[in-house]
Amino acid sequence: MGKQMVLSEAVHKRFGRLEVLQGIDLEVAPKEVMCLIGPSGSGKSTFLRCINHLEKIDAGRLWVDGELVGYRQQGDKLYELGDKEVCRKRSEIGMVFQRFNLFPHMSALENVIEAPVRVKGENEQVAVERGRAMLDRVGLADKIDAYPNQLSGGQQQRVAIARALAMQPKLMLFDEPTSALDPELVGDVLDVMRQLALDGMTMVVVTHEMGFAREVGDSLVFMDSGIIVEAGKPRDMLANPQHERTKLFLSKVL
Amino acid sequence: MAASGAGAAKIPPEAIKAIPVRHPWRWVSAVVVLAVFASVVYQIATAPRLKWDVVGEWLFHQSILNGVRVTVELTIIAMVIGVVLGALLAVMRLSANPVVSTVSWVYIWFFRGTPVLVQLFFWYNLQLVLPHISVGIPFTPAVWQADTLPLISPFLASILGLGLNEAAYMAEIVRAGIISVEQGQTEAAQALGMTRAQVMRRIVLPQAMRVIIPPTGNETISMLKTSSLAYITTVQELFRSQELIAAFNYRIVELLIVASVWYLSMTSVLTFGQYYLERYFARGSARQLPPTPLQRFRHILFQGHAPPPFPPADPLPVYPPRRDDSGQGM
Repeated sequence: MGKQMVLSEAVHKRFGRLEVLQGIDLEVAPKEVMCLIGPSGSGKSTFLRCINHLEKIDAGRLWVDGELVGYRQQGDKLYELGDKEVCRKRSEIGMVFQRFNLFPHMSALENVIEAPVRVKGENEQVAVERGRAMLDRVGLADKIDAYPNQLSGGQQQRVAIARALAMQPKLMLFDEPTSALDPELVGDVLDVMRQLALDGMTMVVVTHEMGFAREVGDSLVFMDSGIIVEAGKPRDMLANPQHERTKLFLSKVL
Repeated sequence: MAASGAGAAKIPPEAIKAIPVRHPWRWVSAVVVLAVFASVVYQIATAPRLKWDVVGEWLFHQSILNGVRVTVELTIIAMVIGVVLGALLAVMRLSANPVVSTVSWVYIWFFRGTPVLVQLFFWYNLQLVLPHISVGIPFTPAVWQADTLPLISPFLASILGLGLNEAAYMAEIVRAGIISVEQGQTEAAQALGMTRAQVMRRIVLPQAMRVIIPPTGNETISMLKTSSLAYITTVQELFRSQELIAAFNYRIVELLIVASVWYLSMTSVLTFGQYYLERYFARGSARQLPPTPLQRFRHILFQGHAPPPFPPADPLPVYPPRRDDSGQGM
């Protein structure tokens, strides 16, 4: 399992009686861009949240970069990881949310440097330098001192991406990053993500943007009711879906 | 496009000058209210047996000033205890540990459920049932021990009574503030690798402050007045100071006016301070800060009416409208 960035074997997740994930098997190679699609409630966001341990899995195994998520294995026994270890691992994975979740009491730059300074203990000067560079990279060099509520949705989401990138993650998770945006603002965010993919970032993207999946994605996974129905190359799958359920879904969204 | 272009050519781009709508009933109601107010003030001011010179004579008397100082001390110390202990109780109440959260619940239940006057009396009379206070591990010799009577002075009894009671109220205020912060904030901070303590201190509490500050200001103002109950512990705060004077010169109402003038002045100062504190913590949540009293005053003077107390901006983070094409609802 040394090769994959993400490896999932029979991952199950329950919320009370509801089985949200019913055995997810997949692999994400380094530098791969995987797009997860599927109807609401299919478990794709939940799976994404399991990868950085915002949700605990109930069964199966999940590895990120060769290390078990949330546990340490010794012999055949699993030991739950402490708060500190979980935090350290999360700090290596960037996550971007549907509703941006910028910290409203901090300016764009403060949002970006918060984690490098507080979590990594980076020198503030160094963090500010890189924070500026990150905001420049997402095209917001002129919005450094703006507060989130002074920015448009697309700008907020790009700050959120810069905030995640500032931690220099080895993996980026995107949870429907464009679903809360005005249609005209979607393009800017997708451009930033496309560039990120070109730069070689490993990405798992939950999305409804089929165009993005086709052009940028290396692999496409269609989930429904907590299982993977179909997976493959985006172009093939979008043009020629094999399963009835996939055909039905794609006929509605394309 | 063509229509609006043609329209723009016809209407000159000057500021609109129109005759404002008249509001005669506003003038009538203002006059009625002023008349009633004036008559009440006049009657009190000219009450035949009210000696205003007595009020003036005692207003800045040394024993009254001492009382003011003690009242301020009681208020500040009790509020500090209340805020610190209250924040601790709030975090305990939200803890995943059931023992810790239950202890917090019981504390709040007890101190909110008994009158503060009873609690003050209790601390004052503690030595009747507990002549010595000791600190140490139960069932082992005490590490530290002291006699209750000199230890719990009237001042300390007042501080304990007021502060511990206040903590119960502050705990609920802080808890309300913490749970008012969106869950997504905690998740985003956790996803960045922040520990629970960091999430609380750096992300949740600063945002909770906006919800916590206004009721805390009310509590402080309320504490300033409630501290008068501490007179039963014989501590010489403002109320007891004026009462001691009234007890020998019988100018009861005059001295109550003296005390009221001081209480009012102090609460006014606090109201003013609270306003600026709220403005500070509104940063990042309101697009435009509400006007200061001075700005409001200028506005009324030059525009003839009061500005809206808050600009018509959303008090919550503003999100763009959701796209409705996701098809499956949420």
